[in-house]
Amino acid sequence: MAELGRAALVVSLGLSVYALVAGAVAAVQNRRRLAGSARNALFTAFASTFIAAAVLAIALVRHDFSFTYVASHTNRTLPTAYALSAFWGGQEGSLLLWLLVLTGYGALAVAVNRRLLRDLVAWVVPVLGGIATFFAFVLVAVASPFDTQTAPVDGAGLTPSLQNPYMVAHPPMLYLGYVGLSIPFAFAAGAMLSGRTDERWIVATRRWTLVAWTFLGFGQLLGAHWAYVEVGWGGYYAWDPVENAALMPWLAATAFLHSVMIQERKGMLKVWNMVLVALAFELSVFGTFLTRSGVVNSIHSFAKSPIGSWFLAFVVISSLFSVALILWRLPLLKARTKLESALSREAAFLYNNLLLVALALTILWGVMFPILTELFKGESRTIGRPYYDFFLRSFGLPLLLLMGIGPLIAWRKASARQLVRTLVWPTGTALLVGALLLYSGAGSSTPGLVAYTFSAFVLATIVVEVVRGTRATGSLSKLVSRNRRRYGGYIVHAAIVLLAIGIAGSSAYSSSREQRLVPGQTMHLAGYALTYQRIVHPYNPNAYETRAVLDVTGRWHGTIMSGDNQYRNPPEPSREVGIKTDWLRGEDLYVIADDVNVKTGVVYVKVLVKPLVNLIWIAGLVFLLGSAVALWPDAREQRRLVTRLAPARA
Amino acid sequence: MSTRSPARLIVALAVAGVLAVFLLYNAVDGHSTPTLTPSQIAAHTGTLSVVGAVVGPVRGDAHSAAGLRFGLKNISGSSGVVSVVYRGASPPPLFKVGRSVVVSGRYSAGRLAANDILTKCPSKYTAKPSKP
Repeated sequence: MAELGRAALVVSLGLSVYALVAGAVAAVQNRRRLAGSARNALFTAFASTFIAAAVLAIALVRHDFSFTYVASHTNRTLPTAYALSAFWGGQEGSLLLWLLVLTGYGALAVAVNRRLLRDLVAWVVPVLGGIATFFAFVLVAVASPFDTQTAPVDGAGLTPSLQNPYMVAHPPMLYLGYVGLSIPFAFAAGAMLSGRTDERWIVATRRWTLVAWTFLGFGQLLGAHWAYVEVGWGGYYAWDPVENAALMPWLAATAFLHSVMIQERKGMLKVWNMVLVALAFELSVFGTFLTRSGVVNSIHSFAKSPIGSWFLAFVVISSLFSVALILWRLPLLKARTKLESALSREAAFLYNNLLLVALALTILWGVMFPILTELFKGESRTIGRPYYDFFLRSFGLPLLLLMGIGPLIAWRKASARQLVRTLVWPTGTALLVGALLLYSGAGSSTPGLVAYTFSAFVLATIVVEVVRGTRATGSLSKLVSRNRRRYGGYIVHAAIVLLAIGIAGSSAYSSSREQRLVPGQTMHLAGYALTYQRIVHPYNPNAYETRAVLDVTGRWHGTIMSGDNQYRNPPEPSREVGIKTDWLRGEDLYVIADDVNVKTGVVYVKVLVKPLVNLIWIAGLVFLLGSAVALWPDAREQRRLVTRLAPARA
Repeated sequence: MSTRSPARLIVALAVAGVLAVFLLYNAVDGHSTPTLTPSQIAAHTGTLSVVGAVVGPVRGDAHSAAGLRFGLKNISGSSGVVSVVYRGASPPPLFKVGRSVVVSGRYSAGRLAANDILTKCPSKYTAKPSKP
């Protein structure tokens, strides 16, 4: 079996190299048959990678411990779903997943566009071949998932905290996002290499970018929810380098998704879009370098591994390639029109882009800071949470405001009077909400109050737009179906508003208290009274469970339990928190019971009350809905696309 | 009448604005913390973080005045042991002898008075064990 997997990977490597070399020769010499052959090599690389992936999946499900990878990441008692999730639980398996998704996405994107965009796709194939060559090479020569050994009786198992349904879905979602950014990058590079730098590559890859962006965004929210319910520290995002590694390309891709609209409509920002698409791709690979090299200190334990230097080399080479291409094609990337006014939708989108990129770059600076200080000062220094929170507020709050203004402001040039007329209702609503919040005591946190006021403004602009559009078309469904992209975008904006309200509420207005309790003793927080009753040990076949039982009165009546699990295999503990959600208030009562002393009955209880935290998770679902609406096939857009691409077929 | 696009002006002002905010933050509040290994700590005093592996014996109670007492050494390679006294919330459940941790606090007179412990997630992307 392992030989089959190894052979399949070698074939994938050979085919990827062929797609790169033959594809480039075919594109330069305009040889159609050779280009078709390179294309077929890319398709077949997906098939052979699929075989390799199937071999590893079967070995994981069958607990074939002669595979070193299987023995290192699973054991016999691991349920099948978690045994399969070990596919991406380790270095080699996750790289194989990367290659599988890359060749799969690449084959599909090339197959769909090969007729309409023949000249451009001729260059996309070697670019995708080049990226696939790198990953296939690493899998064959540096980190093979098919190394074998004498099979031990049992494997090492999977860490208990990773035995969670979120961990089955969260990593592959991120990979579908990271790898998906390769497609718009390959088409952008293809556009520059072929000299076809008009808007066709953007139109062809809009949905690919949206898909990657959706997976990356939703994958991060899944990870945040996992941290919240499973890791048990009461938070959901720690600004850890590994978390930032996913956030940075998502921010760059968000900027790209907005700025391509300006290029599509006005023929502007061509260079900027090339820079953004390259930045999003490079940040996704750079994030992988960070997580695999061990060069930065993270709560995620990543050992220094040789794979890091290969990724660094790839980031450097592909970045130089991107910069050289953009510089080479600068004459072809001139804007068709000029920005006429600083008060226009184009300008609003430009402000939004600058803020998003500024946020991504300040996060990058924070992540790189320990490496740079070690390099230049000989001593690694770390920047903490206040740095990131400061820049999230500095750039995030103006972004929130722009999210309301951008869609309402006129194209080309808006007059101040027109803008006032358009924004009078949303502004009035926001000011009223702000005043009510101030009156009710929300002024204890200025950033929180500003975030809520801006959120009210954005929601009001969305409502105004939808009501106005529905009146004009006669029905909401007709309105949405006429411009799914626009109204899908509004739904995503509503999701971001929910996210902002959830983050502001759960961070700026949360309260917490820690206390040592003995049975019968009560602690109070934010209208809740928690009385510690006793210690119990619920049955669990795989772990010894210890729980402190607390009766809650006050704003909610019931029982809540928290404590720890001592797993048998692997012998690891895990903290088990108690969470009671009040859906009416969107608030969580979050209880962490530590150091449960079975002999004396003493327990240390930390209680957190987190207002509106559940809006963050609801935002994830709204975000998915908005993305689905924007992605849904649109006959009107299809007609526009065919008209736009017509010259390419001539 | 001039028809110059304001795009460059906007970008220039935005870059200047971002730079100003960035520099202002770093001037006012931008303090970073040294992140050291146990073998690097000797020459330092003050607030810092140490990345190391926990060395036993682990004694005491984090909630008591005497605190939780343990040592830290380099995760890989040899080093001296830094003695740590931690006071605060219960350490994470994964905290135990041999575990890789990040401990933050004030270092003086050869002892780290810690107020925060992070244990590293013990899985994912670890390097292969070296073959004998």
